[in-house]
Amino acid sequence: MIIEYHRPDELVAALDLLARKEPVTVPLGGGTVLNQPSETEVAVVDLQSLGLNLIQSRGRTLDLGAAATLQSLLDAPEVPLGLKAAIRHEATYNIRQAATVAGALVAADGRSPFATAMLALAPELTLQPGDEKVLYGEVLPLRDEKLPGCLITRVAIPLNVQLAYQYVARAPADLPIVCAAVAKWPSGRTRVVLGGYGEAPLLAMDGPNPQGAIIAAQDAYREAGDPWASAEYRSDVAATLTQRCLDEIKEQPAR
Amino acid sequence: MKLTLLINGIEHQVEAASGDTLYKVLRSLGYYGVKFGSEGGETGVDSVLLDGKPINAGFYLAAQAEGHKIATIEALGEHPQQGWKLTQGLHPLQRAFVETGAIQCGYCTPGQILASKELLERNPSPSEAEVRDALSGVLCRCTGYKKPVQAVLRAAAVLRGETVDPIDGSAQPPIPAPAEWMPPEESPGDLPGGFDGGFATQTQVMPQIKVTPETEAWQQVGKPETKVDAVKLVQGKPAFAADIEMRGLLYAKVLHSPHAHARIKSIDASKARALPGVAAVLTYHDIPRVAYSTAGQSDPIPGPLDCFSLDTKVRFVGDRVAFVAADTPEIAEQALKLIEVEYELLVPILDVRQSMQPGAPIIHDEPDYVNFADSDPTRNLAAEIRIDIGDVAQGFAEADRVFEAEYVVPKVQQAHIEPHVVVTYWDEDDRLVIRTSTQVPFHVRRMIAPVLGLPVKRIRVVKPRIGGGFGGKQEMLIEDVAAHLTIATKRPVIYEYTREEEFIASRSRHPMRIQLKTGVKNDGTITANEMVALSDTGANGAHALTVTGNTGHKSMALYVGDGKYRESPNIRFYADIVYTNHPPCGAYRGYGVPQGFWPVERHMEKIARELGFDPLEFRMKNALRAGELHPFSTAWSEGREPRPETIETCGLEECVQQGKAAIGWDQKFGDQAWHAVPGKPHLRRGIGVATVMQGTAIPYLDMGGASIKLNDDGSFNLLIGATDLGTGSDTVLAQMAAEILGVPVDDVLVYSSDTDFTPFDVGAYASSTTYVSGAAVVDAAEKVAERIKIRAAKMLNAPDYQTIRLSDRQAVAQDGSSITLAEIALNSLHHEDQEQIMAVGSYVSPVAPPPFAAQFAEVTVDTETGQIVVDKLVMAVDSGVIVNPITASGQIEGGMAQALGYAVCEEMVYDEQGRPREKDFRDYHIFMAHEMPELETIFVETFEPSHPFGVKAVAEIPLDGVAPAVGNAVFDAVGVHIDDNPVTPEKVWRALKEKN
Repeated sequence: MIIEYHRPDELVAALDLLARKEPVTVPLGGGTVLNQPSETEVAVVDLQSLGLNLIQSRGRTLDLGAAATLQSLLDAPEVPLGLKAAIRHEATYNIRQAATVAGALVAADGRSPFATAMLALAPELTLQPGDEKVLYGEVLPLRDEKLPGCLITRVAIPLNVQLAYQYVARAPADLPIVCAAVAKWPSGRTRVVLGGYGEAPLLAMDGPNPQGAIIAAQDAYREAGDPWASAEYRSDVAATLTQRCLDEIKEQPAR
Repeated sequence: MKLTLLINGIEHQVEAASGDTLYKVLRSLGYYGVKFGSEGGETGVDSVLLDGKPINAGFYLAAQAEGHKIATIEALGEHPQQGWKLTQGLHPLQRAFVETGAIQCGYCTPGQILASKELLERNPSPSEAEVRDALSGVLCRCTGYKKPVQAVLRAAAVLRGETVDPIDGSAQPPIPAPAEWMPPEESPGDLPGGFDGGFATQTQVMPQIKVTPETEAWQQVGKPETKVDAVKLVQGKPAFAADIEMRGLLYAKVLHSPHAHARIKSIDASKARALPGVAAVLTYHDIPRVAYSTAGQSDPIPGPLDCFSLDTKVRFVGDRVAFVAADTPEIAEQALKLIEVEYELLVPILDVRQSMQPGAPIIHDEPDYVNFADSDPTRNLAAEIRIDIGDVAQGFAEADRVFEAEYVVPKVQQAHIEPHVVVTYWDEDDRLVIRTSTQVPFHVRRMIAPVLGLPVKRIRVVKPRIGGGFGGKQEMLIEDVAAHLTIATKRPVIYEYTREEEFIASRSRHPMRIQLKTGVKNDGTITANEMVALSDTGANGAHALTVTGNTGHKSMALYVGDGKYRESPNIRFYADIVYTNHPPCGAYRGYGVPQGFWPVERHMEKIARELGFDPLEFRMKNALRAGELHPFSTAWSEGREPRPETIETCGLEECVQQGKAAIGWDQKFGDQAWHAVPGKPHLRRGIGVATVMQGTAIPYLDMGGASIKLNDDGSFNLLIGATDLGTGSDTVLAQMAAEILGVPVDDVLVYSSDTDFTPFDVGAYASSTTYVSGAAVVDAAEKVAERIKIRAAKMLNAPDYQTIRLSDRQAVAQDGSSITLAEIALNSLHHEDQEQIMAVGSYVSPVAPPPFAAQFAEVTVDTETGQIVVDKLVMAVDSGVIVNPITASGQIEGGMAQALGYAVCEEMVYDEQGRPREKDFRDYHIFMAHEMPELETIFVETFEPSHPFGVKAVAEIPLDGVAPAVGNAVFDAVGVHIDDNPVTPEKVWRALKEKN
């Protein structure tokens, strides 16, 4: 339940509000998750006036303002096709107008296609105060501990990476039962991330080359059973989807 | 906090709480075009444009919207006729939605139009895929999205300045009927089986004028008239139950049980009552204990009375514990948390197979349980069916092969986008008014009276516009909650279900385990067919007997066998409908029949394949035909006396032929090259079919009434008790009246329904409205027409009033002289021998003529992951004469979309404590605009002789065959049988692993 609403014009003011211990104060992006009914009382700091919605390339990096919407990211020409596919799978057109990049990353559970694809890209988050640079993969399992009092202002993803996204679901726009995202750098570095299960997407492999990716995917979901699918199924399909992502990357032009 | 919101160009100063959503504030300001669909905003019916972009107002804070331009549907277009004032008329998008039949219930229409507006402003020439993406954020459960997509494409063309074809059927000529299907001129009734109607087919997106000979002269019936309620719905007018302002309105909330089975040891509501703003808290201590059934059915209700408004026991997670009414929804929620309840936990029954085991916990141990027929609460038995037709044992003995298998069908939700919602208040005469979103207003009035301790005559039920029902609102489900609170507080009360309540405390389709056994001769003749169903009714027995009865009554009637077996089929249908601690089941479009056709059609496919027959030839060899007795008609009739019934019309064979042609069956089935996907060895294509039948109303029971009154200007008021829940029934009933009265549909003003003003009608269920209520309308219209003709004959000095015909708003005599209906009306009301020309008609049918259909599916299966993509669905259906091709094809498309969910993704699953997995549209996935397969509808017309316009039902049959057709297509693709639906990826993957 939202008990206070603030819309600061300055980052400093936003950080002051977020630093408060009482009431618990959190950043508000689009509100697609935060504005839903909840018994937890929170104050919110709306980011819309902070100029955090820009998307711009910087060399081999694409800087995403934390408050950039998923639709604006989808519309950005530099975004890898695999990420576009994941964004489309993540949210419908209406929701993409409001949902923000940082909000979607922070609120993601294991069934988030967007977070799965983004995690494969090893994005770097900029946290304020302190202009701290931290990898999304490091924050993800520690969201509850690491993020209170902080504000993500920027998310940087590499532009020279090939990304493929594959999934299995009951229907084309249903949440994934299993999804896989594979990112491959020009150096050969390959990251395999799995989604469709659990609290957060899972990094199955981060290696200097694709070797071992299939086994890594299979292993990563060996215990991934829940009421939606058995671990046996997920493990097997994770391997298949990872292989398909690797095949797809081979067909993609180098970036 | 104080906010300034710029809404539709007008600045509003509002006081709002920090957490107030834009949806809440807009509604409080009277912008009722913004609808509630879910707490999470997944439905998009709460769409508004924020700086021109569609967002969901349900999860957007009002405070966030400050400083932005907000546009709601109210800003768009207006009625083209506003008296002396010139208006801009409707926006081209609104016009296109009206013209294309894109509106069914209309609840999602404002959201779809706003999303489309944004699309066309940024992209004047969108592709279909782009339109579908733009509509992806607005869920629609009625249309299957085909017509809304067409509406947007049409509007785009108009906005580009292009000329668009009129939607009158002229652009696409009908497919000519084969000569052999046309009725012989000399004796239409002499063909075998009493067949007296011709066949014609019409097809495609905007179905064409049919060529059935009987319909050729008609001016209104058979035409794609626009819906009579479309103009208000495209403008987002306050037409729905919740769209009302009342002074002193209280908000109701219900405390739901967290336990699947428990006794309430104590309940203390004192803290909740003490909370400021709380007007009433009711527990079982506070209201009378009256046993009732929630099933909206005719008297006597064919089921046990096993519900109480509030009870000392809870029987499922989500069951009622207490009611609260407060000044705001937030206070009511807060009060719920203050109610202290001590439960004695009882062992729940969550596996239907354990329900009747000796020693199983008894779910209904209350002494005031009222039995119906064979219900036996001491065995957890809500209903029992034992039907034997012919000599089943002998039939099996005569078979060369006997095939046996078990099939499972899941519990699924109706998922109408408008939730259950009711407003109750005392009127100035101290009569209780119940404004409710219901399919059964007259049943609600009759059924709620004893629960409230009021006589029926002191209750008025008003049914405003309904935002979809699909059977979910064939209940008296929440009306008692609001009514008890109004009685307790003397204040108006609104109770609107949340989406979570729809999942945990509403009704659903009965899940079943079904065993099938079929005896077949080597030549493919079915000698005996046996179905044994174990049906899970959940914690209450509403619709228990009748839903499951229809499972057998329809699906087991289709295949009677051939030769001597056709003369005397051997069919057994046994069912136990048992209580469990799952949420209660009820009516859901199809009413038990989809559960039956999943096993039957999967089974027929297996038999045909195993014996080496063409699946369609095998089916047609054994299928019921015109002129034959409906085999169940002498055995069972929804708890009432069965009476023999002959099938007069059956277009199934032609449906098969037309459907095959449409999907390219002959080119695909058996063609290995087609089954492969070039360059993708892990993908396999498959094609499948199911043939199905339904019923049309309940014979000797379903009654509809109508009254028609002539106005001064020659227009007519048509008052009907029938409830249009989005199906277009108000429109087709108006078309029938207009046809007989010789006026355009515009001249028939339809009002439905209000128990004080409109004649009785059982309501919208059992696919009865067009047939039964339509016949009532015809009855009333003919009486009115006769009065008009008598007066016209007098005015025209015509010798015989029976020679007068009504056409083009005139009464025309044989000599060509004519007089307008307006002149007749003025004469009758003002000039001489004054009388009100008015009549009441009613109708109850002695038969329930079945519609028949062939449903086809084309799928692609991933052999490595088990993923299925349904590429195309085709339905060729004999629903008799089609009164309105647009609304009827909309029914088929929407029905196929729902059935598609049943086939591949919809199911309600519970854990070992009876807690639901699905509580929102995130987990309970219903199909969206951008993921739909291609849909094609073909109408194969027959002329049903029992109806003046030859109609049969159309609404429910699309639900029957999609799932088995998909299951059969999966088998065709990859050679594995999935016997429990939905056909999910893991099931296919596992079956493939076992096969390999």
